[in-house]
This record gives sequence, C-alpha cells and structure tokens, in this order.
Amino acid sequence: MSDSRSLLVLFGSQSGNAEALAAKFAKQASGYGLEAEVADMDGFDLTSLSGRKRVLIVCSTWGEGEQPDNAEELWIKASSAPSGLLDGVNFSVLALGDTSYELFCESGKEWDDKFEQLGATRLVARVDCDVDYDQISQEWAENALAAMAAVDGEGVFHEEMVLAIKESMTSGATGASGEDGFTVPEIKSESISAEISIFRYDPSTSTTGKDTWVCALPGHMSILDVLRTIKSTQDGSLTFRDGAVDDPTTAISINGRHVLPGNLRLESSAPLRNGGISISIEPLNGFEVIRDLAVEHWDLESKRESSKPWMSSVTRQGLNTPQGALGSMNPLIASKLHSMMDIHSYPILHASSDATAYSDDYYGPSIISQSWARRNDPRTAPSKKREIEQLLDSPSGIKAETDFSSIRRQGKGSFIHDALLDCKTSTLARDGFTGRHGKHVWWYTFTIKSSGRVNDSVLYRQVLGPIGLFGNLFSGVTSRMVLGFTRTGGNMINDMLALIAPPAGLGKMPRQFNSSIKNHHEVVAIYNEMDGRF
Amino acid sequence: MKYAYHPGNVAHSGSPEVAESMVPLVKSLGIELTYLDGATSCGAGIIRQVNQKLQLTLNARVFAQAESLGLGILTPCASTAGNLSEDLFLLKSNPILLAEINEVLLKTCGLKFTGDTSVNHLLHVIVDEIGLEKIKPMVVNPIDFRVASYYGPNIQQYGFCGDDDIYDPNYMEQLVQTLGGEPVSWDSRTQSVGAPSLLSEEPTVLKQAASVLNDAKSEGAQMIVSACNLSHSVLDIYQGKASQRTGLRTNIPVVHLCEILSFALGHYNTRYAQLRTRVLVIGD
Ligand SMILES: Cc1cc2nc3c(=O)[nH]c(=O)nc-3n(C[C@H](O)[C@H](O)[C@H](O)COP(=O)(O)O)c2cc1C
Repeated sequence: MSDSRSLLVLFGSQSGNAEALAAKFAKQASGYGLEAEVADMDGFDLTSLSGRKRVLIVCSTWGEGEQPDNAEELWIKASSAPSGLLDGVNFSVLALGDTSYELFCESGKEWDDKFEQLGATRLVARVDCDVDYDQISQEWAENALAAMAAVDGEGVFHEEMVLAIKESMTSGATGASGEDGFTVPEIKSESISAEISIFRYDPSTSTTGKDTWVCALPGHMSILDVLRTIKSTQDGSLTFRDGAVDDPTTAISINGRHVLPGNLRLESSAPLRNGGISISIEPLNGFEVIRDLAVEHWDLESKRESSKPWMSSVTRQGLNTPQGALGSMNPLIASKLHSMMDIHSYPILHASSDATAYSDDYYGPSIISQSWARRNDPRTAPSKKREIEQLLDSPSGIKAETDFSSIRRQGKGSFIHDALLDCKTSTLARDGFTGRHGKHVWWYTFTIKSSGRVNDSVLYRQVLGPIGLFGNLFSGVTSRMVLGFTRTGGNMINDMLALIAPPAGLGKMPRQFNSSIKNHHEVVAIYNEMDGRF
Repeated sequence: MKYAYHPGNVAHSGSPEVAESMVPLVKSLGIELTYLDGATSCGAGIIRQVNQKLQLTLNARVFAQAESLGLGILTPCASTAGNLSEDLFLLKSNPILLAEINEVLLKTCGLKFTGDTSVNHLLHVIVDEIGLEKIKPMVVNPIDFRVASYYGPNIQQYGFCGDDDIYDPNYMEQLVQTLGGEPVSWDSRTQSVGAPSLLSEEPTVLKQAASVLNDAKSEGAQMIVSACNLSHSVLDIYQGKASQRTGLRTNIPVVHLCEILSFALGHYNTRYAQLRTRVLVIGD
C-alpha cells in the first residue's frame, strides 16, 4: 500500500453500533502514529486488502447468526477467495452481538476464521461483545491499536514493542520518530549481548573469511545501525550497502534469512539463547560479491533486461473488448497478479532460491515470477505470451529451479512458491514430458501409480538412460549406492537393480520390484479419476 | 506415545538404513507406531509439479487413514514431513478445496478427511514431546565426534518445525550434545541440496551438494547427521561425483538422525563400530 503507517478499520453494521465504534477507534489510532481509514464492508473491494499491512474488523451479527446486510456481499466474495490472498496482512476482530441469541457473535467469528484462512496473521485475539460493550470494546481497541502500531512499514510485527507502546500511551509520553517512520515512544530497551559474525571478502587478495564481534547493544537497534556502529567504532573497512530502510540494494542474509537490515531489529533477528543472540551476516546469495556484504546487482538487472519485461498489450494492437480491455480484469486474477508484482525487494526474491547461486544461467524466482505474472495478464498480447512462454520453458527458465521449498520458507515466499509451481506445471504440460525434466516427473508420478511407492531403479534407468548410468558407474555413484558407502547397512540387492536392469528405451518398462501398498487399487482409482495421462 | 508411521519416500529403497534403525529406536524411546501400510509416497514435491490436486488427493488419503486411527503422523524424513505439512496446511485452510478433494476420496476410496490429524518429524517429537532430559540417561554409546547437523529447507518453515527457530534452528545441535557429541556451527544446515531435481538438474544439484559438504568440512565436522532421508542419500551417494565436478573437498560420512540415535542408545553396535572406523579413515 502507498502509506507505510496506514490502518484500515473495516466495519459490518446494521443499526450503526459497529460503525460508531469503527469511527471511534480510527480517531484513537492517530495517537498511535497510525493513519486510519474507516471503510464500510458494503461495496468494499476485497482484493484491495491484499498488500495491506494492518486491518481491524468490527462486525455485528444479525438474523440468526447471519452477517449484517452491508457485509453480505463481501462475505460471499471472501468465501471463494484464494488462500494466500491476505498473506502479509495483520488483523484483529471485534465482534458485536447479544448472548441471548443462540449463535452469539457468529459473523465476527466467521471473519476471524476467514482472515486466517486467507493467510492473514492475527495479532490480537478476537473479542466478543455482549450488549453492554463500551468497556470491553475499548480494552480490545487498546490492545489491537498497540499491536498494529508495532507493525513496521515492511509488515513485520515487533511484538517486543507492544508493551512499550502501551506504556507510553498511558503515561502520555510523546513519541519519537523511529527509523522507519515508526512513531514509537523513546524505548530504553535493555542491551543484549550479541555475537555477530560477518562474512568478509577482499577482492584485492581474493581472500574470504569471517570476523566476529561480541558486544552489548540495545535490542531495538536495527541491523543496519549495528553495521554502521561496527564500521565507525571497530573496523572502518567493513563494506556494506547503506541506504534508506526500504532500499532493496541494502538486502543481506542473516542466519540464512534474507532481509532489509534497516527494517529488522537486533532483538528480532535471532532467538534469544542463554541470555544472548548469535547472528551470522552474509551477502545475499545468488549475487556476485564485490566486497564483504556488498553485492553486484547488475547481473540481475541485465537478466531482467534480457527477459524483455516491457508490456505489449492487446489494446494497442486494436483487440479492444466491449468492456474495454484495460482494467477489466477478473478481480481474483487481478489480486493474484497484484500479489506477484507487489514485491518489496527483487534482490531478496532472487536470493530466495538456493539454486540461483549454483546454476550458471537460471533467471531466478524474481524474473520468473514477474514473467509468469505477465504471461497470465489478460492484457498481454498473444504473441507476447508465446514469447514469454519460450523464456519460461528454456533451460534458464523454471526448470532450472531445483527445490521449491527453499523459496517457500522465505518471508512472503509461499505466494511466490505457489505461483512458480503453477508456472512449472504449465511448462511441463507444454513440453509433453520430454527431456530429463519431463521424464523425471512423468516416471516418478507413474511409479507411484504402479505400486504406491517410488521405484528408484526404474526412475534412474528411465531418466538417466544408458549414458547417464555409465557416467554414474565411473564417478563412483553406483558403487556408493550399492555399498551404502558411508551409510550403514544399505540393501545391496535392491540398489543393484539400477546397475543390472536393462537400459532405458529397450523394450517395455521392467517389472516393478516394489511390493504394492495395501489397498493399492484405491491409488489407481484416484489416478484414473484425476489424471488420465498416467 | 502413539503415532501413525510414514517412513518417508525412499526408506524402502535408497535409504533402507533409516527404516531399519527406526524399529529398535522407537522401542527405546517408548513410541508406539502404527504402520500406515496403505500410505503412498508423499509426492516429494514432484507429483505436485505435474498435478497439484493429484498429490493433494493422494496425501489426503494418507491423512484420512491416520485420522481414522485417531493418530497424528510421525516421519523421520524432513522432505516427507515438509511435503505432508504443506498439503495438510492447504487442505485445512481452504474448505472449498477440501470439499472438492473429499468428493474424489469418497468416490474412489470411500474415505473422508475432516482435518483432524497432524504431521510430525521425529526430531520435533523427541525435543518437544519426549524431552532431551529423558534421552540423556539412555545414552550407552556416546557419539563423541564433531557433528554437523543438516536440516534442509523442508521442515524449516513457519509452522513445520515445532518450537525451533526457522532460520537459526538448534534442536539437532541440542540432541547431538545430549548424545555426547560436539555440535559444529555452520551456515549451510538449512540450505537445499536440490534433492527433488537430482536426476533432472544434476550439474546444479552437484554444486549445491558440494557446497554443503565442503562447508561442514571447513567448519571441522567429522560427520554430517541429516534429518532427511532424501538429502542424506544425495549427500552420501553423490559426494564423490560432487567433488569431481567442483574440485571441492567433500569426503565426509553422512548418516541419518535415526542411525546415530539408535547407535547412541545401544543398537547396531557393529555398524557403529564401522562408522567410527570410517570417520577416522575418511576424515582428513
Ligand atoms: C433482529 C436482530 C437479530 C440479531 N441476531 C443476533 C445473533 O444471531 N447473534 C448475536 O450475537 N447477536 C444478534 N443480534 C444483536 C446485534 O448483533 C447487536 O445488537 C449489535 O450490537 C448490533 O450492532 P450494529 O448496530 O452494528 O448492527 C441481533 C439483533 C437484532 C436486532
């Protein structure tokens, strides 16, 4: 969203109680350094929630456990929304109701569950109000607003700030501006003991190593400030990219987590163990290191250039639709696209794949996800779509990704992970299961249908073929496999199959040596029902 | 303590030592396992690439089996734990999808899954449920080596790793210490070795594996203990080839968490003796 301190207060209300409370809390929000906006659920665009960082919901219940009239339409839309739509949204719900009804506060409960299902993060537990709700709703608001205020511009929740924010509100202290525009009280956060080791690289001597500092620093200090402090007091030669808190070129890796260092506080950078924390700071992987933590971003840029990202839209080619092509997208597609494009830092996304650093020409998740989004944009011209597909299907495209789970574990990664998986599915379908990738996926899936278990020997034979198997024979792979080299007690006979069975392409598929699982016929029935290709 | 048992994807083939060592191990730990003998492969993130709903249905069938037993699922494989957890999360968080998958399950297998099971990796059961203080007195043969613990990326995800930290895990290091070993601190322990693409993107995978193996060696480890059946066989079987391709030093024994635990608790003494010899011979 445009503003880094914005808060949305969304209400569902029939006779005005919830609406009045929403207005009241929005007013109070400014005291917490938040810029609140009140919105009626009626006519509200669900997809506009994606990308928001802070949302409060106040909703009453009507009829027999039903949504108030003004919330009905939005509720229906929310019910069929894709999971992941609200990834990154922090929220809390206040439910209004009356205990004399059987389904007490049902609508509020439904919104609470729905937001979580769609990927949002609940910062404060829902509070259900009976008819006398003045005090209890105010208590909820104080907790919820303090929590929302502790969400920074990147959407990261700093739980450790909440108490200090609440205290400053009760003592009436004036806030000070934090490094990310955060209006927070002057926090005298305790110093914590930190062991900080930093990757060093000196290009003039081509030497790499690590330097470690053990120090006591204020827990709320940002990692960027930690680096600045080390540079100014300990080692003037330490090199890193300095910049604004949201500057993507400042990105680094902390214990393998890719972050913008201006946005991460020392105390939230790693778990506290034995009274201290220990962090290992490295340059972002997948980039060439210039010196210490500073990496070369040019390579990603030139890859992006070569992916020809400029839009060629259908309207320009005169393919106007009656509705007017631009801006008439299906809202669900639009919200998916929006989420794919709404990336704070392309370098971080690029680094999220563990393969980028090791593959010679992989475009990486950043360029692939952007290209995939454009490929699915209904405004993209068909000829351009084919061009993008060629890029995605190429050896540098999505096939070069070796493990999707490394992407899924990084921050907002689950959404990108799902998108890239879709992308791979579409590439495999276009390829028709040819080549190593196609064969690998096809035979893997097929052997599961055949017995319920994966059959390694069949897979090796079919995918690697005779030449690949010989390669393994001479590089020691096969002997290690057979001997269970450093492992203990490998099953020789089973592993020997890859060696002695007929090579790929000769005759029919060899008999399966796997024993079938119990009720194997159920598996076959599932395959027959869901995918006739196997 | 009772669980439904999913041995992992390759425990019957590429890494039989895991399935074998689980048997005496769980006995010592007091875990009662009910074999899910109708369970399919977890899909290894591969079936999902060609047809996500197919993998979801296969795994929903496994979940329904565990649910009907009234049990959570236990697996020693990080890849299986991660894949099952991802699919369980998807089904639990999307009622429309769940209903669609249930329709197929009912038609094909007469099963229904309501969402009432859990997926647990052995490591998290040991640390969170059993407790390391209970393990300590059981140790018969200390693992007195410098050990690098390998987690991989699959279980180190939000909601999949018990109370451990996603980016800076230390459950395995604590366990190694409990078993009498010296945990090595190294950066590559959550890095992927590209196991799902071993056969299709071998050049990249070999570099990934070499980098992980070399990092463990450079930090002074004498062996790697892996929480993942798939990765441990890649790191072991392919380590020679990985070294040839990259020129990095990669020779180091790689064993699975189950093996090392069962050795420490007094099982397979001859195998442990062999391993000790290998550590001394191979390590340089
Ligand atoms: C006709 C009617 C039906 C109601 N049904 C429920 C109900 O099913 N469950 C509940 O908890 N509250 C129910 N309530 C109570 C309202 O939710 C409660 O009065 C609330 O404060 C109204 O807030 P609003 O003015 O924002 O709509 C009902 C109230 C009325 C008048």
